[in-house]
Amino acid sequence: MPKNPEPERLELLQGTLDMLILRTLQWGAQHGHGIGQAISSQSDDLLKVETGSLYPALHRLEKRGWLKSEWGISEANHKAKYYQLTAAGKAQLSRERDRWTQLVGVIGKIMNPAAE
Amino acid sequence: MRPDERELDDEIRGHLAIEIQQRIDRGESPQQARVNALRQFGYVPQLREEMHRVWYGRWYDMAEALVQEMRVGLRSLLRAKGLAATVVITLALGIGANAAIFSVVRGVLLRPLVNRGEERLVYVRQSAPGLGTDSVSFSVPEIKDFRERVKSIDAFGEFSTVEFTLVGLGEPRVIQAGVVDGHYFDVVGLKPILGRLVEPSDEGFKAAGVAVLTNRFWTQSLNSDPTVIGKTIQLGTRSATVIGVLEPSVPYPADTEIIGNMVTSPHHMGAQMVTMRTHRMTRLFGRLAPGKTIEDARAELSTVHAGLKSEYPESYPERADMRVDVTALRDQIAAPARPILLILLAAAAVVFVIACSNVANLILARSVRREGELAVRAALGASRGALRRTLLAESLVLCGAGAVLGVLLARPLVAIVASFAAKFSVRALEVTVDSSLLWVGASLAMTAAVLLAYVPRLPSSQSPPGNGLAAGSIRITPGTNRRLKVFATTQVAFSFVLLAGATTLLASLIALRGVNTGYEMEEVLAIDMPMRALAQSNADDLAFYQRVTERIGQLPGVEGVAIGSVTPWRDAGKFGIGITFGADGFTPADGEELPRARLRSVAPDFFHVLGVPLLAGRDFTLEDRRGAENVVIVSQNLAQRLYPNGEALNHKMWWVDPYFGPKPIPQRIVGIVADVDDEHISPSPVMTVYHPLHQIGIAGRLFVRAKGDPYTLVKPITQVVQGLSANQPVERAATLEDVRAEVLAPERLNAFVFSGFAGVALLIAVVGVAGVLAFGVSARTREFGVRLAIGSTPYLLLTKVLSEGATIVSVGIISGTAFGYLFAGIASSYVEQLRMPGLLALLGAAAVLVIAALAASLMPAARASRLDMLQALRTE
Repeated sequence: MPKNPEPERLELLQGTLDMLILRTLQWGAQHGHGIGQAISSQSDDLLKVETGSLYPALHRLEKRGWLKSEWGISEANHKAKYYQLTAAGKAQLSRERDRWTQLVGVIGKIMNPAAE
Repeated sequence: MRPDERELDDEIRGHLAIEIQQRIDRGESPQQARVNALRQFGYVPQLREEMHRVWYGRWYDMAEALVQEMRVGLRSLLRAKGLAATVVITLALGIGANAAIFSVVRGVLLRPLVNRGEERLVYVRQSAPGLGTDSVSFSVPEIKDFRERVKSIDAFGEFSTVEFTLVGLGEPRVIQAGVVDGHYFDVVGLKPILGRLVEPSDEGFKAAGVAVLTNRFWTQSLNSDPTVIGKTIQLGTRSATVIGVLEPSVPYPADTEIIGNMVTSPHHMGAQMVTMRTHRMTRLFGRLAPGKTIEDARAELSTVHAGLKSEYPESYPERADMRVDVTALRDQIAAPARPILLILLAAAAVVFVIACSNVANLILARSVRREGELAVRAALGASRGALRRTLLAESLVLCGAGAVLGVLLARPLVAIVASFAAKFSVRALEVTVDSSLLWVGASLAMTAAVLLAYVPRLPSSQSPPGNGLAAGSIRITPGTNRRLKVFATTQVAFSFVLLAGATTLLASLIALRGVNTGYEMEEVLAIDMPMRALAQSNADDLAFYQRVTERIGQLPGVEGVAIGSVTPWRDAGKFGIGITFGADGFTPADGEELPRARLRSVAPDFFHVLGVPLLAGRDFTLEDRRGAENVVIVSQNLAQRLYPNGEALNHKMWWVDPYFGPKPIPQRIVGIVADVDDEHISPSPVMTVYHPLHQIGIAGRLFVRAKGDPYTLVKPITQVVQGLSANQPVERAATLEDVRAEVLAPERLNAFVFSGFAGVALLIAVVGVAGVLAFGVSARTREFGVRLAIGSTPYLLLTKVLSEGATIVSVGIISGTAFGYLFAGIASSYVEQLRMPGLLALLGAAAVLVIAALAASLMPAARASRLDMLQALRTE
């Protein structure tokens, strides 16, 4: 797949997209477009989620039972699929958050030993 | 489209709608907003593919990888066109043969009948193994007893076959007709497509004659004319009204044109038919009572039958050993075709095994050549699974192509095999090409593909890859060589089994064709000229026959004319299994029953016209007629059996069957003729009694001996006969030679089809043996160079390769024989009357195989002997 990311953008670390989606949905149901936009705007447009990764990720999470979806009408007055966290999804989010904190801590310790 | 796909489309559309809306809100023109939104969204097919991966997971990845591999495989196979073509054609033969035969097997043996509730429909059969006959039908009193005593079958239907001269529908002619009781159609579960069928109200002596047309007759002979309903037709001496047309169904036990009620047949109304327990001419169908199985019915019928046997011992002679059996009608109809179809299925399976092992050889040889490539891939980190997948993809491409070609090949084959099977069971007539052909083809191809993918050895992870990597060339290992030889031997062994079978069939066919039948075969024309139903009296009829004889005798090219009652072979069994008789001066030994003989009615000159030698006494004359002394001519076998000392002439004999009246009529033996068995294909000694036509009055067959081509006489003979009586049918003219060939047709087809299989197998096996040896030679060029260098001669190399071929063939033949006998042992429990090949057939098959294989080895052997030493040493 040819990729041409704009230079100032950051690449998502592998495996973090799922966590970001779960996190975004913590505030309530949202459709795919909204999730993508929320992630970019909260990262001050430094993170850009490709639709080619977003939708497979949403379906994958739904298949695992962490999300559920229902059809609704979007602000553009068009049919849209709204995703929502399930109980299992909430548990998964907190697990991923713990792991992420741990990972950031460990990596930070290695990268900046003096900071401790 | 799957729901998932549609939902995804909706989701994408929703996403785009929001994006466009936002862009318009930001001030872009609708047009531009749309283009930009689409551009930003990215490539939709890519997304779709990603989604598939999410939805279908692992399987999707594997399938995708396999498709990729298949593309690679296809490309690499296109570079080896010769090999690919051989493999595809070989597989196509194997798959095609199997698919075609399976279609027919399914159509004939497995498919349900159209009859309503066919799973409860049974056929009841009475047999007399003691008399060597497996169907003696039932008599009216027997059926009455069954109706009263049997509970597990709650309805019986009667069907008997008679011949009528039909007048009123097209040309007057003799037809086969069924005569049924009022319950028959309800029992067998058939509906009319027009009008109504025979019903219980059509029973009894007072009922009006009614007739139902069979579907085949109505559509083929009457162009599906609906106005035929209500027409009055003449059936022999009686008339009947056409009341309906039957739905299409399997004609059993006889393919008739019409089916009438009992009153249409005067015979069925006669006292003999109604009261005589031994007058058996009715076939019996039944419908199982609710909750009863065929086994229940069989057990109950046997008990009832045993009761009848002890109540009426005179009607069930000890020696006849009579029994009843119940089978599902479907099985009963398919039964005659069952053994031959199962054997063909086995033969097809054997061809498939041969084809597979041949293909395995080719693929093995190929994979040896690419061991280098596989080793490189393994060294680069390809897992064993990935390598296997490469091989599987390639064999899938090959087998897929083979299956496509095989199914194409099978389509016409189905028609051929079905017309072959139709000689044994009428059900084969309705066999059509259907999707099962595809399923069989596809599943065989899959089986072959998986098997073939596991044939080649993978570069093992234990052994250092250095060898294969360094050389990148052919390095034939003893293991591979052994495998190649095992596969070649397998082919030879299986081909031998088929060849032995084919030679057995051919040998028996040749033996049958060469049999001396006792008749002049080529010059004598046999014609059906049934007795006129409308004749005023029997005497009138006989006078008519006499006039016909005289007039035809005057035609140019006619050497002799005679009237008889039975066309050899074609009318076999017409008068049953023989009639018991007695003779003066003959007393059967204690406990021995009276002997049985065949009854024939012949006109004067009959023996001369058919070429049967008169051994003693005189021929009949026109003076042997009603009112004159009762006389007979007997066959030599009968004369010797009764009078071993040769004094048969002028003794008297008489029939003891009640059919001939309560008091035996003695008849003087005036002549002895040579034995002729006109019922069996392979003649056995039979006893025959000939009556003078003008005394007993049974006729119906005309025999004309011709100078030159007998068939040129058919037209003038027809004109003469119909000039004398316009409504007289003149049918089925054929020389005795052709009548016999017609009867031999199933045997001939058998041998033909089986030889076809054996031929294909032989071809594949020869290609296989040649291929293995050729590969061996090319892989061992260097070794041969060394041998030449240290003093071996080209001649030695030649014999070495030839002897390798001979080893493969002899091991193959020996294991083939062993396998063949093992297989025959298993098969004989499913198929009765399995003929084992004679020694001659075995030797013949072996000779064919050895010669073919040696011829196949000659080419590679010659190549080995022509090797140039220096070049050979320099290879690799």
